[in-house]
Amino acid sequence: MSIITISRGSYSMGKEVAEKVAEKLGYKCLSREVILDASDLYQIPEIKLIKAIHDSPTILDRIGGSKKAYVAYYQSALADRVKEDNVVYHGLAGHLLLKGIPHVLKVRIIADLEDRVSIKMKRENENRQEALDIIKKDDEERRKWTHNLFGVDPWSSLLYDLVIHINKFTVDDAVNFICQAANLEQFKATNESRKKMNDLALASRVKAYLIEKRFDVSVLSESGNLIIYAKGDDRLDEALKNLPGDIDGVNNIEIHQNISPHERAI
Amino acid sequence: MDNLTPEMILVISMIAVAVFLFITEWIRLDVVAILMMVTLPLLHLVTPAEAISGLSSNAVVSIIAVIIIGAGLDKTGLINKLVKPILKIAGKSQSNIIIAISLAIAVISSFMQNIGAAALFLPAIQRISKSFKIPISRLLMPIGFSAILGGTITLVGSSPLILLNDLIPSNLEPFSLFDVTPIGLSLVVCGIIYFIVFGRFVLPQGSKNIQDDLEIVSPSNDNPVDEIGTPYELRTPDNFTDYREPVRVDDLRKNYLVNVVALTEPPDTKIKSPSGDTVIRAKVDLVVFGKKKDVERMAQMEDMVLKDKLETFVNDIDSQTSGTVEAVVAPRSSFAGKNINSVNLQEKYSVTPMAIYRHGEIYRSHIDELPLQVGDAILMHGTWRRLKMLNTEGDLLFTTPVDVELMRPEKAALAGIWLAVSLTMILVFKIQLSICLLTGAVGMVITRVLNIDEAYESVDWRTVFLLAGLIPLGAATEKTGTAAWIAKTVLSATGQVEPIVLMSIIAVLSTVFTLVISNVGATVLLVPLVVNMASEVGADPRMAALIVGIATSNSFLLPTHQVNALYMGPGRYRSVDFMKAGGIMSILFIFVMIGSIYVFYGF
Repeated sequence: MSIITISRGSYSMGKEVAEKVAEKLGYKCLSREVILDASDLYQIPEIKLIKAIHDSPTILDRIGGSKKAYVAYYQSALADRVKEDNVVYHGLAGHLLLKGIPHVLKVRIIADLEDRVSIKMKRENENRQEALDIIKKDDEERRKWTHNLFGVDPWSSLLYDLVIHINKFTVDDAVNFICQAANLEQFKATNESRKKMNDLALASRVKAYLIEKRFDVSVLSESGNLIIYAKGDDRLDEALKNLPGDIDGVNNIEIHQNISPHERAI
Repeated sequence: MDNLTPEMILVISMIAVAVFLFITEWIRLDVVAILMMVTLPLLHLVTPAEAISGLSSNAVVSIIAVIIIGAGLDKTGLINKLVKPILKIAGKSQSNIIIAISLAIAVISSFMQNIGAAALFLPAIQRISKSFKIPISRLLMPIGFSAILGGTITLVGSSPLILLNDLIPSNLEPFSLFDVTPIGLSLVVCGIIYFIVFGRFVLPQGSKNIQDDLEIVSPSNDNPVDEIGTPYELRTPDNFTDYREPVRVDDLRKNYLVNVVALTEPPDTKIKSPSGDTVIRAKVDLVVFGKKKDVERMAQMEDMVLKDKLETFVNDIDSQTSGTVEAVVAPRSSFAGKNINSVNLQEKYSVTPMAIYRHGEIYRSHIDELPLQVGDAILMHGTWRRLKMLNTEGDLLFTTPVDVELMRPEKAALAGIWLAVSLTMILVFKIQLSICLLTGAVGMVITRVLNIDEAYESVDWRTVFLLAGLIPLGAATEKTGTAAWIAKTVLSATGQVEPIVLMSIIAVLSTVFTLVISNVGATVLLVPLVVNMASEVGADPRMAALIVGIATSNSFLLPTHQVNALYMGPGRYRSVDFMKAGGIMSILFIFVMIGSIYVFYGF
């Protein structure tokens, strides 16, 4: 009855861990599906979305905010997927995109660089230098991406509940630890935590819709009461009046243009 | 015919001066009246004793007493209880309110003194004006006129009609109680229709003064009352706390944007403005402010029972004991930089903050975490007593006046008893009106329904002196024979005319007389004259007398009628307002009266 996010570097055995945890607990295992959902929901070519959420923002992205938009779409699709609970998610930035939800168990799987390189060499049939360069570049890209969009370093262990180094611990050990942790009381979904999850799903859906309409906003939802933090824009009222029919559960809307967003706003 | 004496000329000049000053308003009306009180004895037109006799007259003392009784009834909330059913029918529309109260006051004044009915309704109308944000000037005049018109519905509705049977010759058939009813009802209906249709053209627009007319002011265009909603009472069921996490006052605000302003604590304690972490227990009643849809959602989600109306808290959450006000964080206030939580309004002052306004934006959720800035307006609910305390601390500047008088609902029964005593003395024992009403007023003071200072403060001295000063002018007009001379001159000048013309002349003459001399004086003077005149031209003398009796209530042109004098101050009317709205009313009055007498009785 919980949500497990597994953050991993490439070739760190994270995918294997995630799949085994899901199997053992009888949970759904999610990763790429979220991209497909987002691309379906917001009519964006999958490849564009993958590129957007994988690569760190370019100068152009930062000016135009398009990266933010893609992340908003992605977050909305993710929140929608995981709000039913019993999910292991091992895609991008789950621990950051689902922040503030009490019953999310945030796990980071790390492995030694050398081990990762040898796995990559074996799998992709590459030479050592090639594999090392690609992994290093990939790590750097992720670091920049996370830093630019969320202002944090993905390697900081403070972001996670559990960091497991696959070295002396095997994949099966990691699976056992995670399953044990997931069964702890504090990671079980409660009415309160489910409500927060629903609020996050709603807020991210509304944010994605507004960003689609080119509004630069932060959104907070509390029991369906939305607070939209926006820079002065007269069209916002109008846009909010015409929320799409499939966004439901909105009870009240407050727009604030003069204060900085609440820390829980997305 | 008698000759015009110098005294008569002097009296006519004095009337002319008074009317001239009334019209130009170079000096205030009550001062004009006092001027008359002083000048008339100096000119030897009345004796000094007569000049000041107005101050001790039955009418003036009755007015003073009835105002005090009205204040007592208002202070205990009885007036509100009386008005509530009327408002329930009327809703919030200005027209409907005018119709409902006008009909009510007309019916009441058909059986008691018009001024009494008018004085009793005054505080209620003031409250209605405040809470529905209708300018008081739009309400008082139509309702005051209805009180006067209502006096013509029965033969005991006004003094001239009470006198009528004593004044007509014994060979004429006396009038019965309801003989005048069709005419009186036509007049009341005409008056109401007139104000509903033409009110907006003839009545003053009313002051836009924030302090007087608005209960809450907002920096934005939104009506804050719409934002914070209205009070609803709910009850938690027996199993409310079973198998669930505790529900706190704060949770309800965060989840449903409703503010709990009061709740019961078993067995029988009532907690006002509970703090945010107060846990809501099973089997308690609570009052929340919120929008209907939010309150309904909460009731459904939290399994609470939403009541149709306030029950347990009906006397705690009404405008007499508590209210919603707006207060701005003052410069150098100790509140600046703190959030509402740390200011601790609920626990320290027992008031509930409900929303914050900043730069035209309203904050309803998360207000407890928002650091306050100078200039933020906080909307809050509390008892007047508590709000007053907070006001004196000086951290907040109240944009809504909180010097609301403290109510004494516990004295309602006593106030009702004293009103009943007065009415019984009037209706059953037929004791003089002023003494009956003074009994009630003194009774209220002795039983502490209101204290003597409050009683003094409630009396509007403008009204008292306006009436007291005009009484010697009427006396002089009668005493010097001026009134009789005018009446005889006018009537003899008419000669042989059609009955309907004579009746119209009688109506106009009565109307003019009643403006200057008292309606009783005008009736006493005119009835014997018109009965003879009517007989001479072959018209029905009874109807001629009836016209005098009714037309002496046609006193709308100047604020000299007691009811108009009473309403002039609170309504902030000027003479010109009465001339405009009352002038048309007077003409309509004559037409409708003559018309309905013709239709129902013939001449």
